[in-house]
Amino acid sequence: MSDQVQIIELKEIYRAFGGTQALSDVSFDIKTGEVHALIGENGAGKSTLIKIITGVLQPDSGEIFVDRKPVVISNPLEARNLGFAAVYQEPLIYPYLSVMENMFVANPPLKKSGSVDRHEMRRQIAPIFSQLEIPHSLLEMHASELRLGDQQLVLIAAALLQNARLVIFDEPTSILSASETERLFRIIKFLRESGKGVAYISHRLEELEGLADRVTVLTDGHVVGEFDASKGLDIDGLYRLIAGVAMREYTHREEHRVAADTGSESEVVLEVSGLSNPPLYSDLSWSVHRGEVLGFYGQVGSGRSEMAMAVYGLLPAQRGAIRLEGRDISPASASHAIRRGIGYLPEDRKSQGIFGWLSIRENLISVILPKLTAFIGHVLKKKTINLTEDYRRTLKIKIASTNDPILSLSGGHQQKVMLGRWLAEDLKVLILDEPTRGIDVGTKREFHRFIRETADQGLSVVVISSDLPEVLAVSDVINVMRKGRLVATFRNDGNVRPEDVVKHALAAGE
Amino acid sequence: MTESLADVEQAKATRRSPVAWFRASSFQYELILAALIVVVAVGVGIVSHGLFWRAANISQILVDVAITGVPAIAMTLVMITAGIDVSIGSLAGLAAAVVGVTFENGWPTSLAILMALVATTFGGLLNAFIITRGKVPPIITTLGTLSIWRAVVYALLGGSWISTIPPFLVNTLVLAKIGRYIPYAFLGAVLLVIVGAWASRTRPSFRGIFAIGNNEEAASIQGIPVRKLKFFLYTAMGLLAGVAGLLMLAQSPVVQPTAGTGFELQVIAAVVVGGTRIQGGKGSIIGSVLGAILVEVVQDAVIMFHIQSFWQSVVLGGMILVSVLIGMRGRRQE
Amino acid sequence: MSDLKKQSWMTSTAEQYGMLIAMLVLVLLFTAGVAPGALSVTNLATMTTVGVEIGLLAFGETLVILGGGGGIELSVGSNLALTQILIAVMVQHHVAMLPAALFGLIIAGALGSLNGLLIVVARIPAIIVTLGTLYAYSGLALVFSNGVNLSVFPNSFNTIGQGSALGLPFQFLVFYIPVALIMWYITTKAVFGYQLRLVGTNEKAARFSGINVGWVRFRAYMLTGLLCGLAAIIQSSRFATARPDAGATDNLNAIAIAVLGGTYIFGGRGTIIGTALATAVVTMLSFTFGYANINSVIETGTVGAVLIIAIYGQTLLQDLLKRRGRET
Repeated sequence: MSDQVQIIELKEIYRAFGGTQALSDVSFDIKTGEVHALIGENGAGKSTLIKIITGVLQPDSGEIFVDRKPVVISNPLEARNLGFAAVYQEPLIYPYLSVMENMFVANPPLKKSGSVDRHEMRRQIAPIFSQLEIPHSLLEMHASELRLGDQQLVLIAAALLQNARLVIFDEPTSILSASETERLFRIIKFLRESGKGVAYISHRLEELEGLADRVTVLTDGHVVGEFDASKGLDIDGLYRLIAGVAMREYTHREEHRVAADTGSESEVVLEVSGLSNPPLYSDLSWSVHRGEVLGFYGQVGSGRSEMAMAVYGLLPAQRGAIRLEGRDISPASASHAIRRGIGYLPEDRKSQGIFGWLSIRENLISVILPKLTAFIGHVLKKKTINLTEDYRRTLKIKIASTNDPILSLSGGHQQKVMLGRWLAEDLKVLILDEPTRGIDVGTKREFHRFIRETADQGLSVVVISSDLPEVLAVSDVINVMRKGRLVATFRNDGNVRPEDVVKHALAAGE
Repeated sequence: MTESLADVEQAKATRRSPVAWFRASSFQYELILAALIVVVAVGVGIVSHGLFWRAANISQILVDVAITGVPAIAMTLVMITAGIDVSIGSLAGLAAAVVGVTFENGWPTSLAILMALVATTFGGLLNAFIITRGKVPPIITTLGTLSIWRAVVYALLGGSWISTIPPFLVNTLVLAKIGRYIPYAFLGAVLLVIVGAWASRTRPSFRGIFAIGNNEEAASIQGIPVRKLKFFLYTAMGLLAGVAGLLMLAQSPVVQPTAGTGFELQVIAAVVVGGTRIQGGKGSIIGSVLGAILVEVVQDAVIMFHIQSFWQSVVLGGMILVSVLIGMRGRRQE
Repeated sequence: MSDLKKQSWMTSTAEQYGMLIAMLVLVLLFTAGVAPGALSVTNLATMTTVGVEIGLLAFGETLVILGGGGGIELSVGSNLALTQILIAVMVQHHVAMLPAALFGLIIAGALGSLNGLLIVVARIPAIIVTLGTLYAYSGLALVFSNGVNLSVFPNSFNTIGQGSALGLPFQFLVFYIPVALIMWYITTKAVFGYQLRLVGTNEKAARFSGINVGWVRFRAYMLTGLLCGLAAIIQSSRFATARPDAGATDNLNAIAIAVLGGTYIFGGRGTIIGTALATAVVTMLSFTFGYANINSVIETGTVGAVLIIAIYGQTLLQDLLKRRGRET
């Protein structure tokens, strides 16, 4: 469109976190009256880019232009003043305030007496709610009482209220039903027609047909392509692009694990059937054999972690059965699961894994504590020290002393300590949730090697990962989950096409 | 299915049946409390053969309600921000002690009262400073200042008690009444409550207080002056605690070193019973006052039925626990 | 990496012991100034006698706060009072001394467990529960004693609180030292202690490690109750009387001592040694006040001030170290 104007342009943006480079040489811009989609897998850097636009993060280097003038967006308030509004999946921020108040908390309209003018609030909101097809009865409800789909709409309304000229949607459809999705798309088209710029982040390529004007593909922090979508979208081509680049990014090529050809059927160690916990996941049935590595590939929100936590006893499913070595188990707590030989490495190291200011040793023994004791709970120091020395050697952790605080270790080493927790346990199944997230490449390979070796020694390993090369490198069997369902299973026999795997994980529909 | 603004107004107007009105009301909890108060009062009245309704008893209860209710205004807002102040008992005692000492030394009534209120406001200010600047958790801060001011009271009184009190207090606040039932103290309290409740619903800074309790971080990012508001609240708390102390003095014109001990529990009980969440974010001043009324009626019943007054604190503790439990059950439904 | 190590070492050591040493010095100076005769050997013995009771309460407080999650015990003093009264009542009703004392221990443990139950199972915030039981338990103490002190104990009971063994006060040698050692052992060598610290440091991670967070915290409250019971026995023996208003100042003092001893109010950090040292500091302070004939109310006020300054200081210190860390 010739009368389109550029709202924001990001040029050559670099941003790193600790050891990982989240964005490298990324350039991205949005014009008025267009929908510019940003696609890629998890961890590709999309959220980081959005956080830079909304002022939550600062780029390490690069430039940002708004209305062709260089700016620095140092905090969310400034982004808001520039007219940028983001619609996240997060719930509305003030749960016990009414929806109307939530929208006006920072700057309520005032009467002459200085009191809050609720009438004026309603007057300003009413037309917006009508345009967005939101029932006005929502205004008086407490924010916490709203369904997620409605909360999203209110966020959009709030954006319009602020006279935003750029509205950013971050994976909006993952929480919506089919009809709500249709309603959302109508609204986005309405925004475009009103001359707003829309940034639409998604990993669901099929949705973009008819919706996006431009599509930028982001993989591993790099822009790998920008396409004009106004005349149609080559979706298969995009899948190939995403998969191919992801595979190519590996500087040291790891061999795909080629599933061992076990002559006799090795026994099933863990079997899950009909496991359901709506809306998180439903009707999951899979099994893992002795000495096998089962990979679960999918995007965030596909229900993999919740499923794992059901097996681990922290989040019991509503329906379905879990069988360990043929026997039905229904673990009601983590310690139950551990006693039966199931271990789990949570995905968020910082909040779910490490004990911040405690020593490495204390972090290592957090699980095995009960087994280190003699009579009345006395923790045997010698046993502990021997154990931790064993860990150190096995995992090749370079440290001076296990008494050091765990935070003195790098991310990769911390993750090794997390893994170390499980080494001495007598496990039958070990579930690893995003084991190498945020870790340098060298340590990643060590982890992968470790997983394969442990499996070869007879342990069954379940690896949950959004990292395609990782899944291909370690798994014997790959399960793909999407929106809480198991949508595909691949035997990793060397003939698997990465783009097929990606397609099943990212496709919209149903 | 689009509802226009007009449609909603129309629908509201037609919902006249009382049950539907109750269901739609945002004052559900308060209405239940009010009903409970009526039930309990009537019950006590019957069991006590009408003694409950004597003018002397009712007016005493009303003064007690004023004593508990005035600080409850500030305590409600403080607890909405997920804070707490357990030093108000000592502050109330401080007010009484200051009035007693100054008046005994010849100060005019008005100055004595002013001095008392200045002292307690300063106490509130101290709390405010330590909490907002020193980032010491409110429970620890106010536990500390509770003892500090208790020591000051003791020092002021030299360990003994004072019974020379400005007659103004007793005469104007407690004895002078409208009709035979309503002391001016109660009227004053009602006025303060109305102002407080109105402000908390309509003034933007007060709405900001609710925001802080719901999500302090977001409120701060959105530009709400968190520190200033908290500072104001704890300081105001001090002032109102002083007012309560003066009323306590008016009711029993003797100042002892233990004046006000345990008072904070009563106010907290009133606020919790009134529906304010301990964890903050939700609460109402009207509810707290109703809670104060209920608490006072129940305590009066305890005395009236010659149950040992020692049970009062047990009953209070129990009411707090029950209210919190009820509040949590309601939340689990969300 | 070594800088980070040095920093965290500095933070923890500076926080935990620096404060204590400063306090100790201040108290000694204060004593020397206000009451020079206070620090005689006999007086030190008396201090030790008095300090045992609050010392036991402070150990319990340390455990509860260590467990994190907003854990705190505001009702230790009231537990102390109620338990002594109930023991006295039992003796009044012709229960022999020894069984009465043992029952007292059990009752105190039950009182603490009630707190634990409400906090862990009903999920009511600890501040509210223990604030409520603070008043409920002390109210019950008044009820059961009819408001008067009960001096009903046999003379043989007096040895506990008033006797001496090997030249040291009886309760100190026979109760405090062993209990302190047991507490030290529990927190540093036993599974419970490890798990308590893990829970207090990161509740989520503890759950993922298979630790039953609620059970760990509950036991902290139960143990605290038992300690209150022991202190009740010792105190009522020392006074040869069960007093319903006992422990009124202990609620705050126990918390103050725990925090002064380096227990981090949000959990995960704290030591028995620190608490023991802090007990010495506060007891010395309290004794000095008494020696100089200053009312205990003033002493409590001072403890309150000291508590606030200590935590304020902790925060300032952390900010300072954080800022210095940024500059390196």
